[in-house]
Amino acid sequence: MGRTGHELAHDSGFNNFDYRVAGDVRDPYPELAEARINTPVLAADQMAVDQNAPGSFVVFRHEDVARVLRDSEVFSSTILGDVMGEVMGHKIILAMDEPEHRRHRSLVSTAFRQSSLARWEERLVTNVVDDLIDKFVDEGKAELVIDFTFPFPTQVVAGVLGLPREDYLDFQRWAVAIITANAEWERGLKASSELKDYLANILDQRRTEPRDDLISDLAVASLDGEQLDDESIFSFLRLMLPAGVETTFRSSGNLLYLLLTHPDQLVAVRDDRSLMPQAIEEALRLEPPLLITTRVATKDIEMHGVHIPKGSSVTPMLGAANHDPDQYPDPDRFDIFRDPKQHMSFGTGPHMCIGMHLARMETRVAVNRLLDRLPNLRFDPEAFERDDPHIHGQIFRSPTSLPVIWG
Amino acid sequence: MGLKISIDATKCMGSGNCLFWAPGAFELGDDDVAVVVDVNAATERQIMQAVDGCPTQAISVTKD
Repeated sequence: MGRTGHELAHDSGFNNFDYRVAGDVRDPYPELAEARINTPVLAADQMAVDQNAPGSFVVFRHEDVARVLRDSEVFSSTILGDVMGEVMGHKIILAMDEPEHRRHRSLVSTAFRQSSLARWEERLVTNVVDDLIDKFVDEGKAELVIDFTFPFPTQVVAGVLGLPREDYLDFQRWAVAIITANAEWERGLKASSELKDYLANILDQRRTEPRDDLISDLAVASLDGEQLDDESIFSFLRLMLPAGVETTFRSSGNLLYLLLTHPDQLVAVRDDRSLMPQAIEEALRLEPPLLITTRVATKDIEMHGVHIPKGSSVTPMLGAANHDPDQYPDPDRFDIFRDPKQHMSFGTGPHMCIGMHLARMETRVAVNRLLDRLPNLRFDPEAFERDDPHIHGQIFRSPTSLPVIWG
Repeated sequence: MGLKISIDATKCMGSGNCLFWAPGAFELGDDDVAVVVDVNAATERQIMQAVDGCPTQAISVTKD
């Protein structure tokens, strides 16, 4: 280690999950609000001549998003395998339907329980976070996207998997390349194959000598005497990169941005840390790191008078559901004191985010340690004026930068 | 006035989200099905948040 985030950033474009993937949009919410009211089921390819041919549809209202995510018989997840399979592997639980999905999920779910994660909080997450803060704490200023929110979730996931610390930088490079595969396909495929070889080696070691880590858990996991095959294990481990690294990188940045731009609420959380969980949930609701997922209709259906032919893609717009005024009064306002209510940023239904307890815990620890160690944390007014930091993106969203000072 | 909580074990997927919303009221059994351990450990509001947050709508509540 010993290299700073800045050095890594200047290395070769491995410093961000760039906007070619995220979409170049500053505020999608006015448009989403209009769609929620006027075209709750939007045909994204209205030029199609044949009304019965499969098309692409987007749903915006909270109730419809919930229905699509909960009814996995009508709205199948298999379409996600078409999109992600080549890079992530073809046995990703994200793209499975019931009952196969439930069986696979139960093989890995124990490791992601709240109670199983407690061991990582002290031993891993606090250390990762403190090591990162150590590097800039004496400077009096930092850019928290590069110095903090970008590196910390990768290192947490690497630690949970049980990878040696000296391999974290390699892991980070593979993670970025795989996550941005849509923008640089060859680089993504190459990283995917390198990561698989690397993990195969570790998996072999853990089969012989299991340790207290996730790869060992997966190596010995069994259901009805049946073990996970290697392809399932590699698929699951690679899925941890977009699902476990990128989302938390973005969501922790969004939380910090929202607190820094609402100093009264930042002070409230700083002075009463029991408010942290609801601050985390409110930031996830208002600014989800990922705005969409996709399903495919397994039969012809009607929604709000719109005919959706079998085989059509149906995209629940999570970001629109989270701003539905039927569910969340004054939905565009950041208010950590609002009556908390489940948002859609972790999804719902049988595929609800298996890593949500990890995400909540690592974000809580990360922001708590920042507030502990950086007194009077605030935006750097000069850099704020110059750089206009803001939350950005259409599909993925996170702050462009977080220039802060303290003391 | 007390709350009576029931969990449909055939629907429960073991997400553990109820443990987050209503700490102390629920636990996950070894079979990955949530069970009610102490209805009084959480407020009524927290219990209702757990009901709302359940991904498979497996929790129902009645008042007696």
